Amino acid sequence: MGALFAVYKREVALYFKSFIAYGITFALMLFMGLIFQSTLSQLFSFVQQGGQVPQGANAANLISGFLDTFVFLLFVISPVLAMRLLAEESREGTLEVLMTLPMSDWVFVTGKFLAAWTFYTFLLALTLIHAWMLSLLGPVNVGILAIAYLGAWLYGGTTIAVSMIWSAVTDDQLVAAFLGVTTVLALYLASNLGTVFEGNLLAANASAFVRELGLTTHFNETMLSGLLRAEDIAYFVAMIVISIFITTLIVGTRRWRAS
Amino acid sequence: MIEVNNLVKKFGTFTAVNGISFTAEPGQVTGFLGPNGAGKTTTMRMLTGFAPPTSGSATVAGYDIFDQSKEVRKNVGYLPESVPLYRDMTAIGYLKYLAEIRGVKNRKSRAQDVLARVGLAKRAESEIRTLSKGMRQRVGLAAALIHDPEVLILDEPTIGLDPIQVLELRDLVSELGQNHTVMFSTHILSEAEQVCDRVVIINQGQIMTQGDPIGLRQQMERGARILIRTAEDPTQAIGTVQQVASVMDAEIERDNIIAYPANPEHDPRAEITRALVSGGFNVLEVRPAANNLEEIFLEVTRRGNVEDTPVAVTYDEAEIAVESED
Repeated sequence: MGALFAVYKREVALYFKSFIAYGITFALMLFMGLIFQSTLSQLFSFVQQGGQVPQGANAANLISGFLDTFVFLLFVISPVLAMRLLAEESREGTLEVLMTLPMSDWVFVTGKFLAAWTFYTFLLALTLIHAWMLSLLGPVNVGILAIAYLGAWLYGGTTIAVSMIWSAVTDDQLVAAFLGVTTVLALYLASNLGTVFEGNLLAANASAFVRELGLTTHFNETMLSGLLRAEDIAYFVAMIVISIFITTLIVGTRRWRAS
Repeated sequence: MIEVNNLVKKFGTFTAVNGISFTAEPGQVTGFLGPNGAGKTTTMRMLTGFAPPTSGSATVAGYDIFDQSKEVRKNVGYLPESVPLYRDMTAIGYLKYLAEIRGVKNRKSRAQDVLARVGLAKRAESEIRTLSKGMRQRVGLAAALIHDPEVLILDEPTIGLDPIQVLELRDLVSELGQNHTVMFSTHILSEAEQVCDRVVIINQGQIMTQGDPIGLRQQMERGARILIRTAEDPTQAIGTVQQVASVMDAEIERDNIIAYPANPEHDPRAEITRALVSGGFNVLEVRPAANNLEEIFLEVTRRGNVEDTPVAVTYDEAEIAVESED
């Protein structure tokens, strides 16, 4: 456990020292700020024209729309956060140091993943500012909000874990990020694809399976609106654990390769 | 203590290490000599728990490298050839990091101790990226020492250093050899001679010979071809050399005469020198033709595997090998 914590601490420190992490934070906050601003200005223009606030434009819905946009952006953010994790160690040769220390491969893989997730948690926490300001517009159910945020947190962990696999596959960070983006987008679209292809390309069972693989199936359709289901939590946790397992296996193949 | 028994490592159809056996004793520096691609790094990677062997066995500090890999890794300090370090960390930060992973107590004072040991106490707070190649090498060595391991495995630690740094590092390795089992690889013979108590020579994944460096040199010299250089033209002197009783044959190679001894047990150098001097020649040099590792490798390959016939290989075999090489 000491070893895992040591790796974790170093990686977290690295995020807060790295230019790219600040770049992501800046870009994300700028983007989310613009979304926030346009949401509010639309709302106010309604009110100023003496019109009614449109149906459903209450604080709770605005916050969930805001979070919806945020998790969509993860198809870029997560791969960029994860691309460095193992690719850099591999390229710099420090993987050989880690792999000759008395710890199992899964220990440092998990430590690294948790560090990336921690940085993501920091990013997610920043959006609480917007959520808080929107909540001033009207009553917000804190329970529903908490479930939505829990979902967004798990969503982030899953997309980071999946992207991390590519960081173990290639030591080129850009390639790892690109493959990560592709994979996360595929998981994001899986729900729609399952439905679209049902009956023509996919049998009913298969399309149901593809839908279940989808990120949106387990977040946007459920947790985002405050629906807490064990299967959604299980989906995210399983995706994370399986990704860590696959990453560990791939890292382990270095032991059998010539270089 | 390192005991290696018939260790084999294959990568697909390529056999990097082909059944090597040797022992590295505690309190000694064991040199691992070989040209590039001989299998040195692969062997060291197996002994440090990085890569499992294909077959064969080895124990490091009493633990089996296959079944007790983690115990092995606890007891080994390893300096990989490329000296991988986290360049964003400070020297002391890196050492404390490794100490934490390894569960070393009193991490800070331990890190300071090993840095002082390698002579880097003044640069403790410098980021590794700002350190010179020699200093990085020493950080790598400090990293290998952080947990005071029983066994030290250093992969070409002097490569890329300037001559003064090389000397310092060799001194440090000799010093460490007094109370650790040290195995260090190099492709420089003189380095092995200076630092090592024992030398294992490996080529193409196989051990060619092993022993103490001086004995090894003598063994190499026994029956070896003799290089003769005179102030006069070699074409004039070669006749005299050929007539020496203990010389079987002689030939001219560039500006030197190469003599083949008639009997591997009998060193013809004294007789050759006498004959040349009394013949009025000015002798500049009479020595075994193989003087550095590259030449010794050629010589050993020429004579076949020395280990199989420890006394010496007869001249006939050498001749056959030379001919077949031509």
